[in-house]
Amino acid sequence: MATDVSSPGWRWRGLGPAIPALALLALFFVIPVVSLLLRSVLEPQFGLQNYAELFATSTYARVFYNTFVVASLVTAVSLLLGYPVAWLLAIMPQRWANLVLAVILVSMWTNLLARTYAWMVLLQRTGVINTTLMKLGLISEPLALVKNLTGVTIGMTYIMLPFIILPLYASIRALDPTTLQAAALCGAGRWQAFRRVLLPLSAPGAAAGGLMVFVMSLGYFVTPALLGGTSHMMLAEMIAQLVQSLLNWGLGSAAAFLLLSVTLALYAVQIRFFGGMR
Amino acid sequence: MLLSYNRLGGLGLALWAITILVCLFLLVPIIFIAALSFGSSQWLVFPPPAWTLRWYRDLAADPRWLDAALTSAKVGVLSAALAVALGLMASFALVRGRFPGRNLLKALFLTPMVLPVIVFAVAIYALFLRIGLNGTLVGFVLAHTVLAFPFAVIPIVNSLEGFDKSIEDAAVLCGASPLRAKLKITLPAIRIGLFSAAIFAFLISWDEVVVAIFMASPDLQTLPVRIWGALRQDLTPVIAAASTILVAFTLLVMAAAALLRRRISK
Repeated sequence: MATDVSSPGWRWRGLGPAIPALALLALFFVIPVVSLLLRSVLEPQFGLQNYAELFATSTYARVFYNTFVVASLVTAVSLLLGYPVAWLLAIMPQRWANLVLAVILVSMWTNLLARTYAWMVLLQRTGVINTTLMKLGLISEPLALVKNLTGVTIGMTYIMLPFIILPLYASIRALDPTTLQAAALCGAGRWQAFRRVLLPLSAPGAAAGGLMVFVMSLGYFVTPALLGGTSHMMLAEMIAQLVQSLLNWGLGSAAAFLLLSVTLALYAVQIRFFGGMR
Repeated sequence: MLLSYNRLGGLGLALWAITILVCLFLLVPIIFIAALSFGSSQWLVFPPPAWTLRWYRDLAADPRWLDAALTSAKVGVLSAALAVALGLMASFALVRGRFPGRNLLKALFLTPMVLPVIVFAVAIYALFLRIGLNGTLVGFVLAHTVLAFPFAVIPIVNSLEGFDKSIEDAAVLCGASPLRAKLKITLPAIRIGLFSAAIFAFLISWDEVVVAIFMASPDLQTLPVRIWGALRQDLTPVIAAASTILVAFTLLVMAAAALLRRRISK
């Protein structure tokens, strides 16, 4: 192997075996992504006109707003639902914890389209949820649960929950139970112990998981495209449409670049404050 | 108190209730789809009025579904093989190399995992339009290899870091060539990592939708692309059958992997 001490670039000792992978990523990852981003300032002519158009057009501004709202909602709901689960998971007897973890893993590894299809069927006007509610006499007309914000939020929360629960579970598990005993000995009630000890101690885990879910939600394509309505389009779907249907590569690349920069900026925050991804 | 299971009291009940509800929320849709795929109702009435295998027969009778499944399997196996081969070599560089920018290289290798997949999909679509790789098996495999690569590198790097290099050195001192020592000593020692890498890489490709939607042509589609296309038309139970097969296959691979991993590690 070309890893000898005597081989020419001694400074680059051991890099050799990485070269095929480096070539693959350079040719089919770095170059295409960079040239896509370049198109945002080169097409139709050199300049920032694509970015100006993105920010000036109300349809596009609406998409940015929708994307932000959906990502925030999904993150908030996932945290609210995921926190109690992660908490119990961290302290429950191991065999129960294994069962819950198995459920989470099965859900995570179930094909995304299959899961989205399930919600399309469940939430449609004649779906189980509407017919059940009508049979119970709770509603007289079917609710519009799909092709709107409700549908996207339910479908996305469903997909994102494991990504909140797993890191949060790890961080609560790492806490020392005696800190809470100390709180109790000092006379803290349950609520006080939760608010002043458990919550602050688990906040880094919650923030890390929340940030990850927020970032993933921003760029999500499949679920919003199928469960959301046309009036609730999100960024990823807009990029796909600009490029595939409208063939407006300049504008599409500009939107892609915005998504990319927000994503990388948020990951940088995550790495800076929470020590990288788990 | 809040972290000792036996002293939660009423709070424990509340936590259990939420946990059970969340577990149901996560599981019920999957079971629901599997049930509907055997139901006789064209309009997906639940509970189904009768049970039938009709949708599976429809699926098997349509060569386009079969072709799509075959394409998925081919792309998955080839991408996994390529990702593992490149990942294995790259892991040696990452774990044993001492060159400037090693951490940068590691970061680059993991980027396909964190980059929004839509950005990569559009970018590779643009490139492949130019060089004529859209709608080809090679295009699918290259794109999926990029996406699967981080998932192959991580388990291999982890197991290589846990392997004591002096054992390999001992084999070299005993007269084995460095390559032979790697093949006979190191590879068998890190086989669990290699195995996990292959499984992950395969499943990433098998389940991948977004890039595949851009890559696909009417003649060459993976199973998820075919489902995506059908979904945009109507919600026919045939999709439930296809989804059930997709999910069953993934679970089967994972169960087999868990079993094998247990056997290998013995």
